[in-house]
Amino acid sequence: MSDGEWEAWMAAAQAGDARAYDRLLRAALPLLRGIARRRIRDPAEAEDAVQDALLTIHRLRETYDPTRPLKPWLIAITERRAIDRLRRTSRRAGRESAIDDFGETLPDPLANQGEAKVAAAELRSAVAALPEAQRTALGLAKLQDLPLAEASARSGMSVGALKVATHRAVRALRKRLGVEE
Amino acid sequence: MRSEDLIGRLSADLTPVRPMAAPGWQALLWLALAAGAIGICVLAFGMRHDIGERMGLPHELGQWLASIATGICAALAAAMLARADRPASWGLLPLPPLALWLASLGWGCLADVVRLGPIEGQLGTSWGCLRFTLLLGAPLTAALLLLLRHAGPVRPRPVLLLGALASAALCSAGLTLFHHLDAAVMVLLWHGGAALVLLGLAALFGDRLLLRAPGSG
Repeated sequence: MSDGEWEAWMAAAQAGDARAYDRLLRAALPLLRGIARRRIRDPAEAEDAVQDALLTIHRLRETYDPTRPLKPWLIAITERRAIDRLRRTSRRAGRESAIDDFGETLPDPLANQGEAKVAAAELRSAVAALPEAQRTALGLAKLQDLPLAEASARSGMSVGALKVATHRAVRALRKRLGVEE
Repeated sequence: MRSEDLIGRLSADLTPVRPMAAPGWQALLWLALAAGAIGICVLAFGMRHDIGERMGLPHELGQWLASIATGICAALAAAMLARADRPASWGLLPLPPLALWLASLGWGCLADVVRLGPIEGQLGTSWGCLRFTLLLGAPLTAALLLLLRHAGPVRPRPVLLLGALASAALCSAGLTLFHHLDAAVMVLLWHGGAALVLLGLAALFGDRLLLRAPGSG
């Protein structure tokens, strides 16, 4: 980059020149990425910090003084956003722990069924949240696999109502457990 | 979204802006506003009867000048720190006059103990001081934070505290002109206490003025 080129682009951007602004931000992107990556190890988080910095630069563009060098201004803003993001993630990390680290820690194969148990617990709580009629229909027609006529006799619901309730229950479970239709 | 796409959207949304006035000018503008507001109050309440005598004492005059210098330096430091590329060391600017001001208040207390006896005898209440600093200092602080609201995504907290310090110091200087307090311990207690209350209020409510998520407005 030649001396003063970025400053000239930024001054043009303040005057409303969208092309100069686009060129400047694209030229500065590697610099911003470098700062964010140096502070934040996770590449996705670092990229989010870069985007926070871009939004802040956009919002504060009138505070840039065209007589002063632009780089320190861009660097200071990006450092600030990277630190903010780092703080936010470390706060979140204090409450959560990555389960990947503990996935296969025990030699007994039966001891590593945590994920299946979690999935089962999620399914049970999702079933428990269904309306009474849908829960009954699902239990009789799908889980116990009874013929519709017998399920109808046991539940006192008509065959048609059972079909509708089962269908709705399955759809509700899919939605709740985040399965794509 | 990829950062390259974000750049495309930001430049598509670009509207012209006028570069903001230099921080020195912003500080000067606010100081003029503060001087005007405090001047009107002093005129409204009238100068204290012994003002000439008081300002003739080098210690009292020094204390008054130190409080004004604290206000000016804190306002300038706040305006500088509100800009991303100005060094953080600007925040140290008000410390020497602040130290001088507090030291002269403390020294005044000691001198009063020697002259008037134990401090308990000099204590009284002066809600007026507190009320003046809050009623005038709060809007002045808010005005400065509004002027420097671009500090939000950069260095919100130091700007907030410096802004409150600037207002409190100038209000205290204004108070000295019309409010009669005999003992320095009273000045320390009520002027200093009012300044602390103002700083606390700014820390509590100033966040709303300055702390907003990046890109939210």
